[in-house]
Amino acid sequence: MLDTALARGAAYADARFERSRSERIDVRNGDVAGLNDARSAGVGVRALVRGAWGFAAGARFDDAALDATAARAVAAARAAADAGRDAGGTIPAEVYVDCYATPVERDPATVPLGDRVALLLEAERALHAAPTIAVGHAWLDLWRTHKEFYSSTGSRIEQTLYQSGSAISALAVGDGDAQTRVWPGDQGLYLGGGWEAIELAALRENAARIGEEAHRLLAAPQCPSGTLDLILGGSQVSLQVHESCGHAAELDRIMGWEANFSGTSFLDPAARGTLRYGSPIVTIEIDNTMPRGFATVAYDDEGTKSVRADVIRDGMLVGFESSRDTAGQIGAQSSSCVRAESWEYVPMIRMCNLNLLPGNVPFEHLFDDVRDGVYMESNRSWSIDDRRLNFQFGTQIGWEIKHGKRGRMLKNPTYGGVTPQFWNSCDAIADRASWFEWGTPNCGKGEPMQVGRTTQAAAPARFRNVAVGVGYGR
Amino acid sequence: MDAEERRALAARVLERSPADATEAIVSATHRALTRFTHETIHQSVDIDDVVIRVRAIAGGRTGVATTNARDDRSIDDALARALALAAVSPPDEGEPVLAGPASVAAPAGAHVAATARAGARERAGIAARIFSHADAYGYWSSGYVATSAGGVTIATTAGADLSFDGTECGANVKMTAGDSTGFAEYHGTDVRGLDGDALGARAAAKARAAATPVAVDPGAWTVILEPAAFGELAVFLADHFSAQAYDEGSSFLSGRLGERVVGANVTIRDDYADALHPDAPFDWEGTPKTRAAVIENGIARTVLTDGTWARRLGRPNTGHALPAPNARGPYPSDLVVDPGTESLDALIAGTARGLLVTRLWYVRVVDRRRTILTGMTRDGTFLIEDGEVRGGVRNLRFNQSLTDALAACAFSTERARTGGYSYATVVPAVKFDRFTFASSTAY
Repeated sequence: MLDTALARGAAYADARFERSRSERIDVRNGDVAGLNDARSAGVGVRALVRGAWGFAAGARFDDAALDATAARAVAAARAAADAGRDAGGTIPAEVYVDCYATPVERDPATVPLGDRVALLLEAERALHAAPTIAVGHAWLDLWRTHKEFYSSTGSRIEQTLYQSGSAISALAVGDGDAQTRVWPGDQGLYLGGGWEAIELAALRENAARIGEEAHRLLAAPQCPSGTLDLILGGSQVSLQVHESCGHAAELDRIMGWEANFSGTSFLDPAARGTLRYGSPIVTIEIDNTMPRGFATVAYDDEGTKSVRADVIRDGMLVGFESSRDTAGQIGAQSSSCVRAESWEYVPMIRMCNLNLLPGNVPFEHLFDDVRDGVYMESNRSWSIDDRRLNFQFGTQIGWEIKHGKRGRMLKNPTYGGVTPQFWNSCDAIADRASWFEWGTPNCGKGEPMQVGRTTQAAAPARFRNVAVGVGYGR
Repeated sequence: MDAEERRALAARVLERSPADATEAIVSATHRALTRFTHETIHQSVDIDDVVIRVRAIAGGRTGVATTNARDDRSIDDALARALALAAVSPPDEGEPVLAGPASVAAPAGAHVAATARAGARERAGIAARIFSHADAYGYWSSGYVATSAGGVTIATTAGADLSFDGTECGANVKMTAGDSTGFAEYHGTDVRGLDGDALGARAAAKARAAATPVAVDPGAWTVILEPAAFGELAVFLADHFSAQAYDEGSSFLSGRLGERVVGANVTIRDDYADALHPDAPFDWEGTPKTRAAVIENGIARTVLTDGTWARRLGRPNTGHALPAPNARGPYPSDLVVDPGTESLDALIAGTARGLLVTRLWYVRVVDRRRTILTGMTRDGTFLIEDGEVRGGVRNLRFNQSLTDALAACAFSTERARTGGYSYATVVPAVKFDRFTFASSTAY
């Protein structure tokens, strides 16, 4: 393939062969509503012609089909080069020959299928802790992806990735209201790894409590509106990092590559080293090497070795999530953040593992000097503008805080703000004991839309003077 | 892969299946997309795939497996995996019924050979015409031009043998000026209707008219949403129209069939044969789709079903199944809001003070039962005074119950297909008497 691409005029080409297996099981109200075992295999080829990239993908592996796919990639690149100005694509200098596999404690394939289904049936049954529970839902996802990356400059990289996740949710309905609770976090626990990730979620152990909370929310008072102190649970801090830091710091977005769809960013390259993004306790870093990271790989999908790099250090913006081409345009090194959803998608900058480092306050002490505030957990609604400034988030559940104590349960909690002001109002982050690698299985970006798997590890945190109760009369 | 090749492949799956009953779905797609920014093509993709989805039933239990390999060994492996999943499934509720023979006709205009033939150079040419409008004003453009062709065949051991071939094309462009942006889009099935000049000119004109945007106060406004904006809201009604959501109580229609739920001028239907969005005439279970008015003249008339939910609720199967396995329930893929009686210009002319919105962004559900949505305006928001568009305003965040807004509204006579490749709605522009904004931005 690579020879074909070069022979047809490409200055560089790479090919990514992928073979994936995805298992999804859904149990809904005692019924196995979904049981799917999907396999997919194919190859995606990138070709570089006069600085412009072309990409083609196909699922046939005979010589003629592989050559045809390579030829389509070159044709796409040539059409782009002829129509536009210099796209700035460059040939990589690094060459790697390597193998990698996600560390796995227990391969999901060794867990009998009947046991996987039984776990969900049992957990779902326990969600029905009250007659108002109209829908109990339990699910799990298991992914195994084998990738082989070959470049015309000599890279040969083989990776086998395991990713696993699961969750339970309860929908309570009554008196014209509907309330949802999900465990763990807001859409489950998703990690790099095997069956150990499913066991860590402790679905059975938490199901009755989650069902009971959904039921109690129906009768809970509405979250108040006003300017209050806010404590966010770890998974909601993770979502806050994702939306208001992670996407804002993607260098393709900053350069306008996503402008018509996912939007741009309030950041620009000149802000690096000069913009105070958050308070001095806020440090956010890329770590694409971290154990259990949902996006952990040894090499990204353009063959760059995974790195650890700061984005925000002590509150100051110091870096971006980047690819080789975008980093080169600002005189930086790629932060190894290029991913494709699967073989058929073009590699692009994705938020990978991007973590808010823990603070030094035990979780229970976050509440100590809050006179009037709200504690919110588990996202329910999320929206942010196309420059990643004006956001409004809602959570599934909240509790009022009065004079340092957690009080009544509250329903429909929401809050809003503007990104830098919000992060500068952060005055406490819980310590490593409550820091966790929250994974997101459904981050959307790109055209055609690609789903990304990402981790934003975070601990609960406290924010002062936040607009709370927005969307319900404010 | 054409329909005959898909039928042959599906027949081979059925022949090789050891299950009591089997459904084979063969989907073939060729998707291509040219994406640009700053008058440079930064992404040019061309993707081919064929996916075989097998639903196997044995001993009254069902399993599903997929593969994108077409050799006998891979097909046998998919069948074996589906049967392995069936073996650990609880018994199906009631008799699993696979679709039988049916006669359906593809709506006119669903497949256009010129679109299927379009290549990277043709897409790049359309993009280049958009660039010329950016160059003319010193703006920069971003967007995409996409073409695709695909087909699906559904065959069952009960005798179903249905095929559909369709094409899609679309483009959108965001034009960025100094302190303002504009937007235009087109989606259809015929690439010959994709006019890069028209799109570039419209997006540039929007950006020019929105220049030097002024701040307006949040609060309750009369608002006119152009189709691209209204389509982003309307798609959030889709889940409410499902029999599953209706039965489980999470739909605003729950317990309200036969009641007035929105204004009397509101009719919302699912229509696979709408001329602006001709789609497959059967669903993913091989059931012919019903052209269903879910809300007619403001009255909730029906909810949409698939095989499972028709059986559970004792209602007719309306043909709105998603691919199995499906925990989401029935879904309307071809949502259409009926037009009104006044042109968009007349709706603007009849507005004393209000806002005209080109496009929305990041719309999300705040409160499902109350249909409260939040999101941002984007790429061309304008102040209307005394029936005229005065100029651009800074963007705003809304928090609004969609059904409350639909209680007092008017629709334009013009309709457009919106949403691109991620979803499709056919909607008019809408004027809401009262639409609530919660905050604003500095741009």
